[in-house]
Amino acid sequence: MIDKRLFRLPGTKKLLLMLAGLTILQAFVILFQGKYLADALVNSWKMKPLQTIIYPMTLFAVAFVVRHLLNLINTKIVQHYSSTMSEEIRSQLLDKVYNSGPQMISERGTGNLVTASLDGIDLVENYFKLIFTKMMNMSIIPPVLLIYIYFQNIASGITLTIIVPLIILFMIILGLAAQSKADEQYDQYTILSNHFLDALRGLPTLKMLGLSKRYVKNIYTVSDEYRRRTMNTLRIAILSTFAIDWLTTLGIAILAVFLGFGLINGAFPLFPALVTLILAPEYFLPLRDFSNDYHATLDGKNALTNIFSILERKDTEDTDKLDKLTWNENSDFEINDLQFNYDDEDKTADASLDIDHLKLSGYQNVGVIGKSGSGKSTLIRVIGGFLTPEKDSDIKINGQQIPHFTQKNWQKELTFLPQAPYLFAGTLAENIAFYRPEASLDQVKDAADKAGLTDFIETLKDGYETKIGEGGRGISGGQQQRIMIARAFLDDDRHILIFDEPTAHLDIETEYALKKPMEELFKNHLVLFATHRLHWIKEMDYVVVMDDGMIVEQGTPDQLRAHQGAYSDLIKNMRGDTL
Amino acid sequence: MNFFKTFKHDTWVKPYIKQYKGLLVLVLILGFLTVFSATALMFTAGYTIDKAATHPFNILLIYVPIVLTRAFGIGRPVFKYAERLRSHNWVLKITSDLRTRLYKTLETDASFFTERHKTGDIMGLLSEDINHLQDLYLRTVFPTVIAYIVALVASIAMGVFNPSFGFFVLLLCFVEIVLVPLISVSIESARRERQKALKSDLYTKLTDNILGVDDWVISGRQDDFKKLSASTIQELDASKNKSKAFRRYRDFVLQLIFALIMIVMLIFTNIHMTANQEMANYTAAVVLAALQLSDTFVPVSQGFEEWPQYRDSIKRLNTVQPVDQNLPEQVELAPSDFQQLELTNVNFEYATDSPILIKDFSQTIKRGKKIALLGPSGIGKTTILQLILGDLVPQQGSINVNDLDVQQIQEKRETIFSVLNQNPFLFNTSVINNVRLGNENKSDEEVKKALERVGLKDLLESLPEKYNTSVGENGSRFSGGEQERIALARILLQDAPVVLLDEPTVGLDPITENDLLETFFDVLKDKTIIWVTHHLQGVNHVDHVVFVNEQGIEMQGDPAELYQNNKHFKELYEMDAGLE
Repeated sequence: MIDKRLFRLPGTKKLLLMLAGLTILQAFVILFQGKYLADALVNSWKMKPLQTIIYPMTLFAVAFVVRHLLNLINTKIVQHYSSTMSEEIRSQLLDKVYNSGPQMISERGTGNLVTASLDGIDLVENYFKLIFTKMMNMSIIPPVLLIYIYFQNIASGITLTIIVPLIILFMIILGLAAQSKADEQYDQYTILSNHFLDALRGLPTLKMLGLSKRYVKNIYTVSDEYRRRTMNTLRIAILSTFAIDWLTTLGIAILAVFLGFGLINGAFPLFPALVTLILAPEYFLPLRDFSNDYHATLDGKNALTNIFSILERKDTEDTDKLDKLTWNENSDFEINDLQFNYDDEDKTADASLDIDHLKLSGYQNVGVIGKSGSGKSTLIRVIGGFLTPEKDSDIKINGQQIPHFTQKNWQKELTFLPQAPYLFAGTLAENIAFYRPEASLDQVKDAADKAGLTDFIETLKDGYETKIGEGGRGISGGQQQRIMIARAFLDDDRHILIFDEPTAHLDIETEYALKKPMEELFKNHLVLFATHRLHWIKEMDYVVVMDDGMIVEQGTPDQLRAHQGAYSDLIKNMRGDTL
Repeated sequence: MNFFKTFKHDTWVKPYIKQYKGLLVLVLILGFLTVFSATALMFTAGYTIDKAATHPFNILLIYVPIVLTRAFGIGRPVFKYAERLRSHNWVLKITSDLRTRLYKTLETDASFFTERHKTGDIMGLLSEDINHLQDLYLRTVFPTVIAYIVALVASIAMGVFNPSFGFFVLLLCFVEIVLVPLISVSIESARRERQKALKSDLYTKLTDNILGVDDWVISGRQDDFKKLSASTIQELDASKNKSKAFRRYRDFVLQLIFALIMIVMLIFTNIHMTANQEMANYTAAVVLAALQLSDTFVPVSQGFEEWPQYRDSIKRLNTVQPVDQNLPEQVELAPSDFQQLELTNVNFEYATDSPILIKDFSQTIKRGKKIALLGPSGIGKTTILQLILGDLVPQQGSINVNDLDVQQIQEKRETIFSVLNQNPFLFNTSVINNVRLGNENKSDEEVKKALERVGLKDLLESLPEKYNTSVGENGSRFSGGEQERIALARILLQDAPVVLLDEPTVGLDPITENDLLETFFDVLKDKTIIWVTHHLQGVNHVDHVVFVNEQGIEMQGDPAELYQNNKHFKELYEMDAGLE
């Protein structure tokens, strides 16, 4: 029920103490509220004049107001705690994303992370409320009231004591029944509930198939089937609420009858009977509150567990082992016996790596080819420092041994151009200057010109100030790649370019037009170029052929062509029949 | 007030309230009975005790209230249970109607998908909106209406004894469940709106953080990375804290008003019900019953507060209107009679102020011919396919199938045209059901045969559920190439003479692409094919290539001839194939 890690959060223990204090106070105020109301009512019953009830009535009103005032303070404290805590968690999450984001994303997916940091945190706030306020109420208020009731009337005390375990028992039994019924139907259920959206999204397809008109009937039938099933599940699911309601109201009814008989027999006067009756609903209230949104708030618990599991991930260590580096024609790096394993290979499209030997130097242009899933992307992402290889991998940069490529001084030398470039919400100029936010507009313009963006930018009303990215102007794939290229031109202090299939989505003429600026960019850079577009090989002076996570062939294009090996086979398969 | 404005032209809420009136009344009655039983329980219990305390000679005198106490004790949970079930049933019934209607409306508007679909996930939003309407009823309308009925009944009951007390209680109830909720919604409305905007801004920024993390890491800008969302978070938090504080104090005020109601009740019972012991026996009953009402009154404000969200949903749903298709008289064209497709001087623009997209495009495609259409993205290749299908109508020029305008054959269009696009849509059901959508009259054997022709037999038979394997949401159970093949099998069953292929292989690796193209042109060899593609892989399969650019047709011809005679084509081709 409670995640123990919660207590490790700063301020939790103090909060619990404060809440405990407040709740005890609240319990007594509730007690007073009941007592003075009973006093007033007894006097009315005795047909005493208004003056006699003014005193208890005022105290009742004061107790009532103080009770809600305490409640207000309680809520305020918990809300304050949860919003500070949520921000703390969010901030830690962002640090985590920054420090081990790339690897985490490849394991967990982006959606999961965005959800965790946004929606998840809202759910967590509800969870805090459940475990702090509601659990505290449940464990303090009923016992205090019960003790008082025992003093007033032992039989009533016993009745109320007996009902609680019954309620809990019913809750568990019915809760389990509802759960198993829901589990049973779950798959069918999700399909049914998503059916409508599925049909809306598939409407163009249905139209193409000439089915769209006839499908109307299907929408209604399925929706109605969904209704039927929901009602079936609901009938059982809300039984547990029904049981609590039933037991508590019945408890009160039985109590009333007991008290009635006791009074007739003259066993006790009116006051203890009345106060017991007034306090009985208060006695059950915390329990009902707790059970009402128990299931809803469990989502918060799951969200919190998810967030904790992200936060507890180990950051990549030793990211400053590499001395300051300026890559030049004499630099080199060498990899021997490098292994990288994905945690869950089913979920990733690419293969785990097992590299025997790779040595690259100076301003080589290196093509990395292989069929899809051969490990090309994994290899260049390991070299880019986005993925951390196994511990005993042997990596040297300029002869200096390093544990992995996630080195600050290495990444300062890199520019990475992915298959689907990511444009940030912001202006075009800001996107071009992403690596060097301090660059002047002239420098940005110069880089844009080299990347062949000038004509395009001139057609835009706001020019360099055009908003792009999320919610901005739609930018075609070709222009997106040019923006990336401009980014690389702008920051010419970075001497290593890593490309991950940058032209895979582009049409042939756009790709043709991109070739010139890219060739220009290749000069005086070490280039690592993963691609399955064969014409780029002409621009390369070294080629690495990957298959199943291993380098199966490497050498200059001429060497590889001369040798009828993996390279030649791959080219033949990729090219297919020609004109 | 915007509340009434929202409903003035509404057709998505009002008509449905009338439709299942009987059930709605039942739900409200059950809701009222739930509250009634809860108060009556305390009423009879209070009376029982007061009466018993007078030591009546005959135990039978408290027998009736005892029985009633038990009855109400059981009544409350039973009515509540029934009310919850009935109200959900009612809402889900309406949901089925609303869904059917939304679907029907969208079905009439083919251009909806081409123009408006681009702006985010409009389908997801609309389907969410219908869910919001469910909450509108369950969380706002029902509790509010029930609270109003209860308040009226209670005040009238008091008024019978003493009109001025009755009126005073009514006044307090009015403040509690009308005035405060209205103030609450008017204060919170703007704030909620702002929070919604901030939240979507925050979403954008966090997405930038996460999707762009590679770039952030390489740029070394860790501070900027964290600062990106900081100000939005701060503003959002500040606004949310204001909302929370407002809610806390509002709830406190509601309790204060309720305390006042209780004091009025205490005074009232003391003054008016102490004439004789039999009346005085009712004092505790009345006060204890009134005490139960706070559970009904306090949540009304909360329900009101959610109104802005519902208002947005109602507004959006009301923007979806059926489109009159205005088709000319429909003519039936037998698929076997299809001879040629002719586009003559077609001009098309989406709106009068947007640039002309298709300029003077002409092309004649004879039965059985295969053409490839190339050009940069955004040039209108997909638009040409939509024009051919008749989903869009050109401003100038004509598109004829044989001698018929394409608009004349829309009713049975699926017998002439089939379409395969980049992300073929697969419904979340089994493979065999998905394929059978192509032609629902085909037997299992014929469906399996089609799957065999597209090369999926071995894969499917190796799976535990074979042909009944579910494709998952959006076909996710299968790879991109496999999804294309499933969609291709569907088209084979549809058996239309003209097949439109819209970049079916984009994003696939060359080996998969090659295999897939081989399959396409093998199984579709008898068909007329119009193939939009982004590069020249597989172009050897077609009879004619057309390159379009902003000016119009850039070059066209038989690919083998172009390769011999056209330098630009030769360059492109050699680059694409990686030839030396």
